[in-house]
Order: sequence, then structure tokens, then C-alpha cells
Amino acid sequence: MTRASEALTEALKEQEEGLLNCVHCGFCLPACPTYRRLGDEADSPRGRLHLMRAVTEGRLDPGSDAYQLHIDRCLGCRACEPVCPSGVAYGHLLELARGVGRAARRPSLLSRLLPRVFGTPWIARPAMLAARLFRATKIPALAARLRFGGGPPGPIRLGMAMLAASAPGGRPGPSAPSAPGTRRQAARPRAPRPATPAPRVAILTGCVQAGLFARVNAATVRVLRANGYEVVAAPAQGCCGALHAHAGDLGRAAELARRNVEAFEAAGADYIALNASGCGAAMAGYGSLLGGDEEIAGRAEAVAARVRDVSELLAMRGPLPGGEIAIAVTYDPPCHLLHAQGVSGPPETVLRAVPGVEIVPLAGAAECCGGAGIYGLTHRDLGAWIGGDKVRSVVESGAAALVTGNPGCMMQIGAGLRLAGRTTRILHVVELLDASYERGGVYGRSGG
Amino acid sequence: MPRMIPSELTGRLAAICGSDGVIVDPDRLLVYESDALTAYRHRPGAVVLPRTTEELRRSVAEVARLGLPIVPRGAGTGLSGGAVPLDGAVVIGTARMNRILEIDAPNRRAVLQPGVINAELSAAAACQGLYYAPDPSSQTACTIGGNVAENSGGPHCLKYGVTSRYVTGLKVVLADGSLVELGGGAREAPGYDLVGLFVGSEGCFGIAAEIEVALLPVPEAIRTLLGIFDRIEDSGRAVSDIVSAGLLPAAMEIIDGPTIRAVEDSVFAAGYPTDAEAALVIEFDGLEAGLDEDAARASELCRRAGAREIRTAKDEDERLALWKGRKKAFGAMGRIAPDLLVQDATVPRTTLPSILRGIAEIARRYDLVVANVFHAGDGNLHPNILFDRRIREDLERVERASKEIMRLCVDAGGTITGEHGVGLDKKHHMPLIYGPAELDAMWGLRRVFDPAGVMNPGKVLPEDTDPELPGAGEGVARTGPGAAGAAPALAGMHG
Repeated sequence: MTRASEALTEALKEQEEGLLNCVHCGFCLPACPTYRRLGDEADSPRGRLHLMRAVTEGRLDPGSDAYQLHIDRCLGCRACEPVCPSGVAYGHLLELARGVGRAARRPSLLSRLLPRVFGTPWIARPAMLAARLFRATKIPALAARLRFGGGPPGPIRLGMAMLAASAPGGRPGPSAPSAPGTRRQAARPRAPRPATPAPRVAILTGCVQAGLFARVNAATVRVLRANGYEVVAAPAQGCCGALHAHAGDLGRAAELARRNVEAFEAAGADYIALNASGCGAAMAGYGSLLGGDEEIAGRAEAVAARVRDVSELLAMRGPLPGGEIAIAVTYDPPCHLLHAQGVSGPPETVLRAVPGVEIVPLAGAAECCGGAGIYGLTHRDLGAWIGGDKVRSVVESGAAALVTGNPGCMMQIGAGLRLAGRTTRILHVVELLDASYERGGVYGRSGG
Repeated sequence: MPRMIPSELTGRLAAICGSDGVIVDPDRLLVYESDALTAYRHRPGAVVLPRTTEELRRSVAEVARLGLPIVPRGAGTGLSGGAVPLDGAVVIGTARMNRILEIDAPNRRAVLQPGVINAELSAAAACQGLYYAPDPSSQTACTIGGNVAENSGGPHCLKYGVTSRYVTGLKVVLADGSLVELGGGAREAPGYDLVGLFVGSEGCFGIAAEIEVALLPVPEAIRTLLGIFDRIEDSGRAVSDIVSAGLLPAAMEIIDGPTIRAVEDSVFAAGYPTDAEAALVIEFDGLEAGLDEDAARASELCRRAGAREIRTAKDEDERLALWKGRKKAFGAMGRIAPDLLVQDATVPRTTLPSILRGIAEIARRYDLVVANVFHAGDGNLHPNILFDRRIREDLERVERASKEIMRLCVDAGGTITGEHGVGLDKKHHMPLIYGPAELDAMWGLRRVFDPAGVMNPGKVLPEDTDPELPGAGEGVARTGPGAAGAAPALAGMHG
């Protein structure tokens, strides 16, 4: 074992109390997408915790094939956390376990490269620009439609389909009368405005979000303003470090977190609004990520406490209803919103503020879509299996649009739908609200 | 050290189940060394994961041909060490055999593969107004195959009975790889009840490949009460009084103070008052007419037994919250201590108050936390002894306290297991309950199904009682009633 590996193994050992909380009851097994499909307990949360514990007990080498394979194969969806009676902090332990794993054995090129790209602005910005330009040529969309034999798509075709899925889907839905039998939501009266000054909100603009989903960021600003928030800038912010932490590169994740703690302190906002739940879960965890650094731990905790998903902020103020959009949508809750942050009601509250929207249930909604950061790219077979089940549910729901709250999920499910030849729209929750506000003339009224 | 599995066998198993269906890497096998009773750790020689009855049958045949021991495993949620592979046994897991083959609503029956999760059967049958009655607390995770092996109970078995009452037919793979059908189809079969024999055989008679079960219509109405007590004995008396009064609740569950506090600390907080020493969940179900009267009588009996407060679940959400708190209690124990040993003794209901007092006294004497959460209506106790395996002195005290509790229950006319099975953990206590003739009969029965002794060896019956082992038999007399068995309950802990 190298010295770095030993240091991290020590870190995992310090978490032994966390690991010991697991009494092996097995209640997490059915919640785990990899266990459900593979049926091997080493691919279940309980099994992975057992492997971690074996490392701390000195019974297992973190460089072993077994440890590398099963710790790496976890989606990190954290669906096991809300079903754990003992409250094992699985997500946090997984990041440490991956740190131990990568110190013992060098990770694959792709999983080293992608976080590097996102975390380095001078690489990320031109890369995103190139991606946008390429997306505009429509070549990715075309490539996603072409079929070459069966089986999961190769990395290039999958990448193309993901890029195509990130493209704006156009303004959702006609305002024409909806189909008979569609339940409609009557426009509610304007939410009463409190006399207190408008809460100040800073937005994490993100890397993928800023690069490929600038429209979602713009919509976020508009809908927050329309609901009485003052949006302030946090110019010194950067990548949240989520991808680095998920990959076990905790050193780099902590550096990025520290920069954001300083940037958002300087912004002086009451809340930090997130429209990418993967980033939201990472920022909400800054307290524990930087917990070992006395100088900044308290400040990181304070910043983390101000993190809110944009849907939570909107739900707190109503939100204001908009103009009618007659469309049947289905909502897929991002894992890092539902499981990691425990946010379940607000996104639907936001959708209900759009008159004419019919929310159709999505079978297996609470299960991961297989996107899981860069999982869809690093574990293509399993990612496509899990993603394929999600795509099937979306298609079977009969919805015209899939609404979610995280760019990774939008690209993963979107890619799956495009590869299956489907034209289902992929929308972020705020995109739909924004379109409704535009249609209803809300922005004209409030000057947003 | 795990047993070395011959590579020809690995190859043949991979040809049957696919290369991802056979695990032989010792590191990967680590996760199969325990079930939910982590006191025991024994690494298997291999794990095989078949998907179909045919794959299962052929896998068993290949392993049996070499005479290697076989241990069936569902979701590994068992609490008696039944799925722990001794002596490098080959684990045959049913996780991939998880399809519901048929739900026959008019005949209220379903046919399933063994890896189907208990709660998912009820969920699948719900749209036809049906459900599967036995509801072990682990029902969101445990498999029907495991339920059949352990003859699992659950809170509602007070009124509805345990697994054996609902299994109507089985296709079983025997130890030599042959497939036999037991029962099935018609409700009553002539001759001896082979289905009844198989249910509860703890993996020693074979592996169920297909299971036919009876479903029940979802009850028309339900009333759920929560009685809150300042003394646990009072809650025990209330349970006994309710039954004596001729009432038939669907379930009566007691959750003691330490358990209440662990649960209330968890995501499954049910609103049990944390200063109480016992919460008694009582549920009535059936036709709407008469339910309120039953609930009122039960409330009155609780009050007379000393309940300080009685609550009624106002709606389905409140009812589910009360049950979630109860059913997730075992897992929540991890908040109190890293390890626990759960017992499963069943005692006559009327002795509950004195037994509960006795357990508290034993806990005090050994300076241990014992958390009780159990099926009070059935007199089925689950004292959870909490400890930390890293402290050696703890282990000894736990072992002694555990033995005393068992003794206390047996002396009160109880038995050593209500629903978790004997498995590895309680086999040495069998002579407390049975004499040599009965144990001989059990060995004989086991050999009818498994003459070679390869199915889950080392479980249920203590080896020194085996009449076919030279020098055995006297063992029964030595460790018979009075000796409390030589229970190496925690011996494997550091293994």
C-alpha cells in the first residue's frame, strides 16, 4: 500500500463508527438499482459497506479486484439512505471508500479526465463552447437517430445522443384546449407578498449547466425574480466539486469547495439556489467535506445551510401561477434531490403552478436513471440497462414531456429517448414554469 | 480459509448460470459470510446465482455430484445464522429468481419464484384487492423463499397465522438435483402433508424453486391503536387481558423504551413518546361493523392495565407511520450499539409481565442494554442484546445474559424460537426443548429429503445428537434439559 492509500484508509477507519451503524438488516437491498439487476450482494449497499469494513479491519486490500469493481459499480444514487433505519451516511462513506480505492489503484482514464475537464475553467469553457457549436450542427441529433445493430450504443454515439438531448426542446406545448378528461389546475391568486425586504439569492451557475443549459440558468433567474427574490451575483464561484468527490478525489473536491465557500460568503445571499441537484447535494455536504479543516469548517457549514433547490425556493413563495400550458408531463425526481437532499414535494408544487399541466405518474420514479454523474459513460452496459428501464417507464407513462431537475438526468434520459427514436420533450422544472410565466404575461406585470 | 472449489466445477456452473452467475474470488465472497445475524462469519467457497428453475436444478446437481455442502440464501435478512455457509459451503442465492409467475385472482392464489420480495407480492396483488398475509418485519427486503424456509411469522400472524398456512404448493430441488412437486393446485391433497414438512425446514430439505401461495382479500376496514405505558409489565398485562376478554386483534406489538428512542431518532420516527417505557400497537381489521366496539373495549382494558394514554391512528398515513416505526426497529438498533444479538423466544402470553420483569433484571445484573420489540400477542419475545464486538468482555457478558434469558423463557413453559428459526444460533438449545427420541426423529426426517447430508449442514440439529454419528446419543443426555447446551453463540465473532 502506498502512503496516500494508508492515509485514506486511516480516514475510512476514522469513520468506523459510521460503518458500525450498519447492523446488516438488509433493508437497503431492494432500494439499490445495481443489486436489483445483478443480484450479487457485493453490488448492494450492505455488501459495499461490508467491503469497506473489511478494509478497515485489514481483511481486504483496497487495490483488490473485488473492492475496485464493487465500490466503483455503485451509482452513488443514495436511494439506500432514506430506507436505512440506522441512518448510515452511505454517500459520505462511499466518497471516502473511493478515495481509498483510487489511492490503491489508478482509476480509468475517462473517470480521471472528465472531472478534470469540468473543474478547470480554462479547459471547461472552450470545451463547452465547442460542444455547443457541435450541437448546433445537428450532427449529434442525427447520429443519435442512426442505428447500427443491437446492443448498447458505443461511447461516441451515446455521447452524441447526450449532447443532442441537452439541446433546447423548444417552447413546451400548445395553449389550445387540452384533451377531454385532462384535469386542469385553475390559476390561483397571486401569493401575498410579505412586507419584509426581498430575500437575496445567489445562483450556482455550474459547469454543465452554464455550458449546455444556459437557458435553464436564465429561466431560474427570471422565475425567482418573479416570485419576489432578489438575485445577486457570486462572481468568484466555480465547479462545485461533486464529480471529484463522487470519484473519490476528495483533495480536489475540497479545494473547489473552499473556493465556493469564499465566493458565496462574499455574495452575502440569504439562499444559494441550485438548479442542478447533483451540485446541490455536493454543496449541502460542504460541511462534512471540509469538516476536518478547522479554519473553514464552520463557514462551510454556514454556506451549506443556505443551499436550496430552486423548486424549494419557488414553493416557499407559492409559486405565482402562470399562463396555461396544456401538456401531459411526467416527473422524474433526481436521486440527489429526492434521496440525498430529501426534497420530494416542491418540484410538483412548482409544476402545479402551471395551469393546464397534467402530471402523469411515472412507474419506478424513485429509482436512478443510470446517469449518475459520468456513470452512463464509465459503465455503459449497466448504465444503459438501468437507463433503458427508465426510458421504458417514461414511454409507458404516455407523457409528452419528461420533467426533472438535474442536467445529468436530462441528458441521460434524453439520450435514451433519442436513441429509442422518441421525441418526448426533456424539460427542467423551471423551464416549464418560465414558459408559463411568459405565456401568462407574468414578466410584464412584475417587470422580471 | 475458504474451501477451494475445483475449477472444473466453476466452469460447469458458469456454463449453466453465465460467468457473472458464479463467484469464486475469495474477496468478493466476503459479503456472503454473514446474514443479518453478524455474530457469525464464515466465508463460502462459491456463490451461484441461477435465474431459472432449470439453472437452479442443474447447479445443485453439479455441486451435489462432488458432495460439497450447499447453503440456500434469499436476501440474507435471517436472524438465526441460517444462511451462513459453514465449512466453505457453496451458497446458492435466489436473488435473480425474482419473478411473480402468476397471480390468479379468482382463485386467490399466486405462483412465484423464491427470490420475490414479500412486500412486492402484496403490492402486485393490491390492484386486485388481494394481499399476502404473513408480514415479517423485514418484509420490504426478505424473500418468499426465505419465508418458506424459516416458516416466517410477523405482527399480523396473531390473527392470520404464519407462512405454513399460506403455502399451498411447491416445486423443490432436492439435494441430488432432482425436481419434485409437493402439493399444488387443489387446496387439500390426500396423504401426508409434504408441503407442511418442507415449510420451516430451514434449507435442510432442499431449495424451493417455485412457490404457490394463497392470497387474502384486503380487509374492509382497519383500526389501529397506540397504548402508552410507563411500565413495560403493564403493557404485557394489557395484552394478556385483551386476549382473555375474547377479543381477536390482527396484531399486538410491544415496543419498549430503548427501542422507542432508537426509532424516534431515525427516519422512521412514528411519534411514539420518548419518555414512555412501552408502546403497545393494537390493530383490529375485518368488516367495518363492530370494529369500533372492539377498539373501545381494547382501549378500556389498556387503561385498566395502567396505560397513561391511548391514541388512535386518524388516517392511513398515521397508521403506516406507526407500523413503519415498529417494523424498522431492528435496523434502528444500530443507533444504540454496533452489534446486537436478537433472541426469539416464545412464552405463554400470561407470563409476559413476569418474563419482561425478569429480562430487565438480567440486563441490570449484567449491565447490558436489552431492547425489547416483539409480537406480544403471540408471546413471541425479541430481546435485542446490544453490545460492541470490539470489546471482548462484552462478548462474554452477552453470552451469559443471553443464556439466562433463554433459560428464563424455557422455564416459563416457552420455546427457543418463535419465527427466526433455529439455524446456527440456537441449534445447541434444541436439547432444552426436545428429548433424544424427538431429535432422532428429526434426523431421520432430514435424511429422507437429504440422505447425503449436504443441504445446509450444521444447522438446526446439534451434531452430537445425530444417532448415526459414532458416540453420539449420549450427547443428548449430557446436554439435555438442565445443561442449557454448550452455546458457542459468539464463538465465531473474531473469525
